[in-house]
Amino acid sequence: MSNYSNKIVIIIHTSEIVLKGMSEILEGSLADEIVALRRIDEIINYSELKGDLIIIASSSELGKNLPFLEQVFQNSTNLKFVSFYTEQPETYSDVAISLNDAPSLICYKINEVFNSAILGDDEADSELTRRELEVLQLITRGLSNKEIADHLYVSIHTVISHRKNISEKTGIKSASGLTMYAILKKIVDVNEINTSDLV
Amino acid sequence: MELFNENNKLAAVIHKDHSLLPVINRLGVRLGFGDKTIRNICDENGIDPAFFVEIINVFHYESYFPEQKLMNLSVVYVVDYLIKTHEYYRNYLIPEIDRLLHLFLESCEGQCPESEMILNFYERLQEECLAHFKTEEEEEFPFILALNQVLKGNTDSNEFKDQFSAFKMRNFEEDHGNIDDKMFDLENIIIKYLPPSYNQNIGNSLLSNLFMFEKDLKNHSRIEDNILLPKVDQLIKTLAGHE
Ligand SMILES: [Fe+2]
Ligand SMILES: [Fe+2]
Repeated sequence: MSNYSNKIVIIIHTSEIVLKGMSEILEGSLADEIVALRRIDEIINYSELKGDLIIIASSSELGKNLPFLEQVFQNSTNLKFVSFYTEQPETYSDVAISLNDAPSLICYKINEVFNSAILGDDEADSELTRRELEVLQLITRGLSNKEIADHLYVSIHTVISHRKNISEKTGIKSASGLTMYAILKKIVDVNEINTSDLV
Repeated sequence: MELFNENNKLAAVIHKDHSLLPVINRLGVRLGFGDKTIRNICDENGIDPAFFVEIINVFHYESYFPEQKLMNLSVVYVVDYLIKTHEYYRNYLIPEIDRLLHLFLESCEGQCPESEMILNFYERLQEECLAHFKTEEEEEFPFILALNQVLKGNTDSNEFKDQFSAFKMRNFEEDHGNIDDKMFDLENIIIKYLPPSYNQNIGNSLLSNLFMFEKDLKNHSRIEDNILLPKVDQLIKTLAGHE
């Protein structure tokens, strides 16, 4: 790679245990530099950092401070956010880390985010929303669009539009293909599905 | 876009796009054609050069689809070409994909719970394709050919009506869409979502064949949807006009 850029992870959390643990685990990732902060406003001291930057913090913290963070790092090459959950997140996601994730999985997820920054693609858009995940789960149970609409108390048009978005994000169009996707991504449990019945 | 024409040397055409090889095979040309032009080769093999040229152009240039011109091609030639295409899928491409997929899935190291699911998906898709080809060959194509015979004056129209009284022309566009979607899904599952525990070289060969099948089938379906179906309508109208 000709113009290699510095890879930095900034982790923000009030718990010293989390900060120490994450710093140690991320030694095994692609990150060149790891910054651990107790308070989000301390980040102002790091505004000169340049390169591919990942900020890990709880989703509420990220949600509140997004414009501020973007402002601070407006000159960095690439800025990505990863949510940190102390419980299992409700939304399935590649770009969220949970307290119970294995160290290898945490490094894998962080590396994926770095790699997508290099490719400059819009992978961040490929995350399914909670509603889309619900629709996907109903698809895997073999429900028709009409049945899904009744189940979720929405119109059939809404279901069709969710399906369209799911297909665009995953690159999978058929119901049986989506079922395979959901099983491979562990969105549904293989035992809930009769796989010999993939039509 | 410079279209191929009958004065081109076929070898040069193939160097430009080797994915045309199975196409010229099913048009009745075999390898070893030296420096002959398309016209020479067609003359020798009793192929209509105009038909040959249109088919390879439509295959090579995805945006080239002169519907009016194609509608004027002989139905007999078109159906014959479509059947030969089915035979190529059935006798070569599908068994080859089958073989590679089995090799690929067997190459997985460790626990591979997804293998069976993928095989299952593929087998359903294959059944769907084969059933689709079979219905076309047993139902639609004979109807179209018979209809053509009536209009040529080779068969009595009452005889034709008796024979096909219960026949209803199916719209195969929906089938085509479903098969196309599933091919795409299978490719994407392998490319994007499979764990990396499979033999990559076999995976690449498998994908090359899947892409080839996808491209070929799209072209094939496009001829059926946009040439064959309108052609049937046209023939039915002509027949009605005769009475
Ligand atoms: Fe066909
Ligand atoms: Fe077809």
